[in-house]
Amino acid sequence: MLEGLVSQESLSLNSMDMSVLERLKWVQQQQQQLQQVVSQSSNNSPELLHQILQFHGSNNDELLQGSFSQFQMIGSGFGPNYNMGYGPQHEAMDGCISRTSSCQMEPVDTMEVLLKNGTKEDRPISLKNKRKQEVKTREEENTEKKIKVEADTESSMKGKSNMRNREASSETSKETLKGVSEIPKLDYIHVRARRGQATDRHSLAERARREKISKKMKYLQDIVPGCNKVTGKAGMLDEIINYVQCLQRQVEFLSMKLAVLNPDLELAVEDVSVKQFQAYFTNVVGSSKHSIMVDVPLFPLDHQGSLDLSAINPNQTTSIEAPSASWESQSQSLYNTSSLGFQY
Amino acid sequence: MVNSNLFPSIEATGGESSTESRRKKPRISETEAEIEARRINEESLKRWKTNRVQQIYASKLVEALRRVRQRSTNEPDKVVSVAAREIRETADRVLAASAKGTTRWSRAILASRVRAKLKKHKKAAKKSAGNCKSRKAAATETNRIKLPAVDRKLKFLGRLVPGCRKVSVPNLLDEATDYIAALEMQVRAMEALAELLTAAAPRTTLTGP
Repeated sequence: MLEGLVSQESLSLNSMDMSVLERLKWVQQQQQQLQQVVSQSSNNSPELLHQILQFHGSNNDELLQGSFSQFQMIGSGFGPNYNMGYGPQHEAMDGCISRTSSCQMEPVDTMEVLLKNGTKEDRPISLKNKRKQEVKTREEENTEKKIKVEADTESSMKGKSNMRNREASSETSKETLKGVSEIPKLDYIHVRARRGQATDRHSLAERARREKISKKMKYLQDIVPGCNKVTGKAGMLDEIINYVQCLQRQVEFLSMKLAVLNPDLELAVEDVSVKQFQAYFTNVVGSSKHSIMVDVPLFPLDHQGSLDLSAINPNQTTSIEAPSASWESQSQSLYNTSSLGFQY
Repeated sequence: MVNSNLFPSIEATGGESSTESRRKKPRISETEAEIEARRINEESLKRWKTNRVQQIYASKLVEALRRVRQRSTNEPDKVVSVAAREIRETADRVLAASAKGTTRWSRAILASRVRAKLKKHKKAAKKSAGNCKSRKAAATETNRIKLPAVDRKLKFLGRLVPGCRKVSVPNLLDEATDYIAALEMQVRAMEALAELLTAAAPRTTLTGP
């Protein structure tokens, strides 16, 4: 009967790596041994057998979760990894499994774990179906800083002395843990440590700070035109500074223009209505190039100014893909015209 | 109520974050606070883009310009540059006022006028101010270790955004984002106003002697 189940498992495990298969077979062998031991020892065999069969018949993910839980006996905050088993994370999981398989396990430990695992069984099944919501609700419950979590879990892990190779296993499990644990008793936000990266307090704090800054740079990247082409903070900052300077120069230029037109403000008072503004706003498409080009012929053109404009105008119409460069040329040309045109 | 507000935004904007986290190696998972912060940021940027805000700004600007015009009729001989500066400052103040005091740069702009008036009265204290400046200059000369390029640029950006010289980096970036959005709106409004005036005004005033 058990061989039949084993074959079932092997069929279902066809997609996984060999290391996983080996691992699972080893686990199953352990369970077989355990079962023999159990059936000899106590009369509770039907229950245990039932649990073991459940364990067998359960899904890949739960088996792996079970094998992981063997390493996570450690204590209050930890439980099986419920977030394992997303499709593309399988490769990461395989790596984890191969790493964890290096740790040796005593049959006694496995028995303890299996018993404990049996009680936790229904949770993996139910949680697998609602993983996303679980994550979300868990995240909603966690409100404190990320750093505290890691410090606390570190201390809790270092404080225990239950299993053999505890420190080695704890480190590996910590590194390989992708997960958010069970609903914790404390309100902490769990950080997903990347593989092979340090998990000490300082580097975590730095990483959080860096992530914040990079996120804000992304917002700026969305808003500033032409920032997508540059990579790296320095280039992006260059573009941002350039853009801000351009906008400020535009404001100055427009204020100069309005200073000239200000006497007309009183004359045009009746015309100034909200609806007219609305019409103008819809006409003025995001970039100001077109409107400025419309205004240019109205200015009194000196000889030098007209030459500049005729040279630059065609460039402005055609160059749409280089807004940053055209900002500069445009504003410079406009300054030329303004300085030449307003000399009364 | 919080949940119902969060979930649609998560599906809209957090969808990309979840796919990203699955595509790449697992990153630091997003917490509710971060999702909230992102939503707030997007909302705050969008507040500068609505037509209504533009109209409000434009009407306020017109009012302010009229007042400036009335005030300056007492001194008719004004160079265009001075008038332009006044108009720019007026426009900036109106912009800062429409920010409703939530951002640092808006508060700095509104406060700068008060500070400028105080400085006019305190011309007697010019000597001490000069000493301070020289001391500062000497200090920077002696301690001239070239900061890394990124830090230099961040400092420069802090000088560009009003009132953000001694502000932390993430706050500076936030302020810069809001300031850029506000400046874009200001440019649009002033352009529209200028176009309106040039269209309405008779052409003879422009074609000078």
